[in-house]
Amino acid sequence: MSPSGRNIVIPHLGRVEGHGGIFVKIVGNTVHEVNMDIFEGSRYYEALLKGKHFLEIQGIITRVCAICSASHTVAALTAIENALGVKQTERVHTLRGLLLLGATIESHALHVFALALPDFLGFDSVIGMASKYPGEVAFALKLKQLGNRIQELIGGRAIHPINTLVGGFGKLPGHRELQAIRSELQAALDPLMGAVDLVATLPVPGWAEQDTVYVALRPYEEAYRFRGVSICTSRGEEFPIESYRDVVREFTVEHSHAKHSALASGETYMVGSLARLKLWGHHLGGRAREAMGKLFPAGVQDNILLNNWAQLVELVHCVEHSIEVCDELLAMPEAPREMVDYEVRAGRGVGAIEVPRGTLFHEYELDAEGRVVSANVITPTAQNLANVERDMRTAVENVLAGGEQVDDSRLKLNLEMVARAYDPCISCSVHVTRLDGE
Amino acid sequence: MPNGNDKPKVGIFGLTGCAGDQLQILNCEDELVRLAGRMDIVDWVMARSGNDHTCRLDVAFVEGVVATERDLETLKEIRARAKTLVALGTCAVWGGLPAMHNEMSREVLQREVYNTHVQFLDTVEALPPTHFVPFELSLPGCPIERHEFLRVVNSVLSGTEPDLPRVPVCWECKVKENTCRVIHAQEVCCGAMTRGGCGARCPSHGVACSGCRGPVEEPNYDANITMFAGRGISWLEIARRMSNFSAPVWMTQGLEQEVRRESKR
Repeated sequence: MSPSGRNIVIPHLGRVEGHGGIFVKIVGNTVHEVNMDIFEGSRYYEALLKGKHFLEIQGIITRVCAICSASHTVAALTAIENALGVKQTERVHTLRGLLLLGATIESHALHVFALALPDFLGFDSVIGMASKYPGEVAFALKLKQLGNRIQELIGGRAIHPINTLVGGFGKLPGHRELQAIRSELQAALDPLMGAVDLVATLPVPGWAEQDTVYVALRPYEEAYRFRGVSICTSRGEEFPIESYRDVVREFTVEHSHAKHSALASGETYMVGSLARLKLWGHHLGGRAREAMGKLFPAGVQDNILLNNWAQLVELVHCVEHSIEVCDELLAMPEAPREMVDYEVRAGRGVGAIEVPRGTLFHEYELDAEGRVVSANVITPTAQNLANVERDMRTAVENVLAGGEQVDDSRLKLNLEMVARAYDPCISCSVHVTRLDGE
Repeated sequence: MPNGNDKPKVGIFGLTGCAGDQLQILNCEDELVRLAGRMDIVDWVMARSGNDHTCRLDVAFVEGVVATERDLETLKEIRARAKTLVALGTCAVWGGLPAMHNEMSREVLQREVYNTHVQFLDTVEALPPTHFVPFELSLPGCPIERHEFLRVVNSVLSGTEPDLPRVPVCWECKVKENTCRVIHAQEVCCGAMTRGGCGARCPSHGVACSGCRGPVEEPNYDANITMFAGRGISWLEIARRMSNFSAPVWMTQGLEQEVRRESKR
C-alpha cells in the first residue's frame, strides 16, 4: 500500500433516508480528512413558515420528512401549545404518546431489519435477505406495518398526519379499533423476542468503539418515555428545555447543506436510542429489560454499531408500552372528538421530543394574531453529524492500526456501517435550521 | 436477488424532498415481496446498496422537486435511461410545498435559514421535474396513496393505462356522507379544487381539505373564492388556506393584495 495516501469516496450512500456521501482522505495510517457530504437540496421550510398562521404550521413542517412526520407533528404541536398556553387533556397526551410509539415502531423496524441488518448478515438489501430469512423478514414487515396502522388510527395517515390538531384531535379512535391494534401488538411480542435471540448471536465488531458523550431528555415520569422535562448529558449535566440553544451549539461546515452541532465545551455528542438506553435503560421493565440483558450483557458500551441493537430493545419496549397505552385509552369513555378552547395570543414556545433518531427541538414565536414571527427546528441527525464524522475517523484508524493490508471495499463497508448505525435522516437534517425574526 | 434478466428493470429515485413517496412504496408491506418478484429493482438508493446507476430502465419512478443543479442533472440522466417515466407525489407533479414561495429569491431564503452569507449552497428555484422533462405518467398525492401506486405499477407492467380518479375530493367526501366543512363549519375546504383518490381523508376526520393532492383538472378557483367570501370568511383566511398547495402563486398573490386593500379600508 502506498504510504503517500489514498482517498475513499462513497458518492451516494445507500440504505439511508435522503442524499449524502462520504469522503475520507488517508495518509499512512492516519485519517487527514473525513466528510459526511450532505447534498440533499435545501427547501427552506422555516422561511416558508414566516407569516403563516399557527394553524398551518403542522401541515407544513411535517413535510420536512416523511419517516419522521409524526414526530415533527407532535414536537410542533407541543411548541405551539406552549406558546399559546394551551393545556393538553389527559386523553390528548395519551393519544399523542401512542402516535409517537407507532412512529418509533415503524421507523425502528424499517431501520433495524431492512436497512442495518443486511450489513451484519451479508446482503445488499432486505429483498436479498428475504431469500435466507423469509420468516424474519415477513415478521419485520408485519411489525413495520403495525407501526403504520397505529399512526393511521391516531394520525389519520401513516405519513404526514392530518388528525392531529392544536388543542386536540379531529376524530378519536373507537374502542373496537384500539382492541384490534392491542391484540396485534400482543401477538407481536413473542416473534419479536425471537428476533432478539437471533440478533444476540451476531458478533458486533469493536473497531468503532470510543468514549462518547450522550444526550437525551429526562422522561416526564419515572419510566422509559419519549417525552421529557429537561435535557440531560451522560456527564451528569442537566439543562432546562427552554435553554436548548445554549446547550446545542450549531455551526455551518462547507461540505454539508446541514449544520453541525457540538456542546458548549466543543465536544460532539450522540443522540438516539443508544443515548436513551445509556441514560434511562434502568427504567426499562418487562420483556424490554429481558431484551436489554440479552443484547447488552455487559451494559451499554460506547460503540455506535450497538445503536442498531438499542433500537431493537426500544422496539420491544414500544410494543409492550403501546399495549399499556391502549388499555389506558380503553378505560376512557368513547367520544367523537376532543378539543380544548384556547385564546390566540403572542408568545414563544419550545417543544422537545425523543424521536426515533434522538432529541428533536421545535420553537415558534407567534404575534398577537397568531402569525409566525420566527421558527427554529433542530433535528437529531443534524446534532449527530459531527459525531458521525468523529466515529468514522476512529473506525478507519482502528482498522488501519491492525497493520494488515486493508482494501478500499472493506473500509467503505465499515464507513457505511458507521453512518447507517446512526440511522441518519438526511431530509430532516437539511434546511431545518434557524429562521430569525427581524 | 434471482437473475431477473427477463423481468422489467425498474429504478426508484428521489430528488429533493421528504422521501414520503418512496416510503409509501416501502409501506406496501403485504405486496412488497411479490412486487419485487415481478420486476427487477436495479437502482433504488434509499432501499439497497450496490445499485446500477447506468443501465437502461424499463420504468423509472421519480419523487421530489428540482432544487439544486445536481437534481436537474440527475433528472436528465434518469429520463435518458428510462422508457417509461412516472412522476410520484405532488412535489414531482406540481412542485408541492417546496415551490410555495418561489416569488421569494433564493438569496433571501438562504439568509433567513442559514443566517450567514454562505457561498457553498447549491440551490435553484424549486420546480417540479415535470417542468423540465416529459413524463409518461403522473401520480400526485402528499404522500401518494398506496392503492393508487399499486394500480399504476400493475398498469405499467401490463402495458395498459391506469384507471385513476378524475373527480375532486369533494365528490368522494359526498359519497362518504361526511359533514361538509364549508356549509356546517364555515371553513375554507379545498376539496372542490383538489384531485380525489384519497377517499376524502381529511374531511372524514373532521378536518378541512388542505389540497395536498394538487388541483383537479380545470379547477374553478374563482367560484370557490367567491363562495368562501360570500359566506363571510375573511380574505386573510381564504389566502391562508389556499396558498399551501391549492392555488397557483398568481392566485394567492392576488388574494394577498385583497387582504392588504381590506386592511386599509
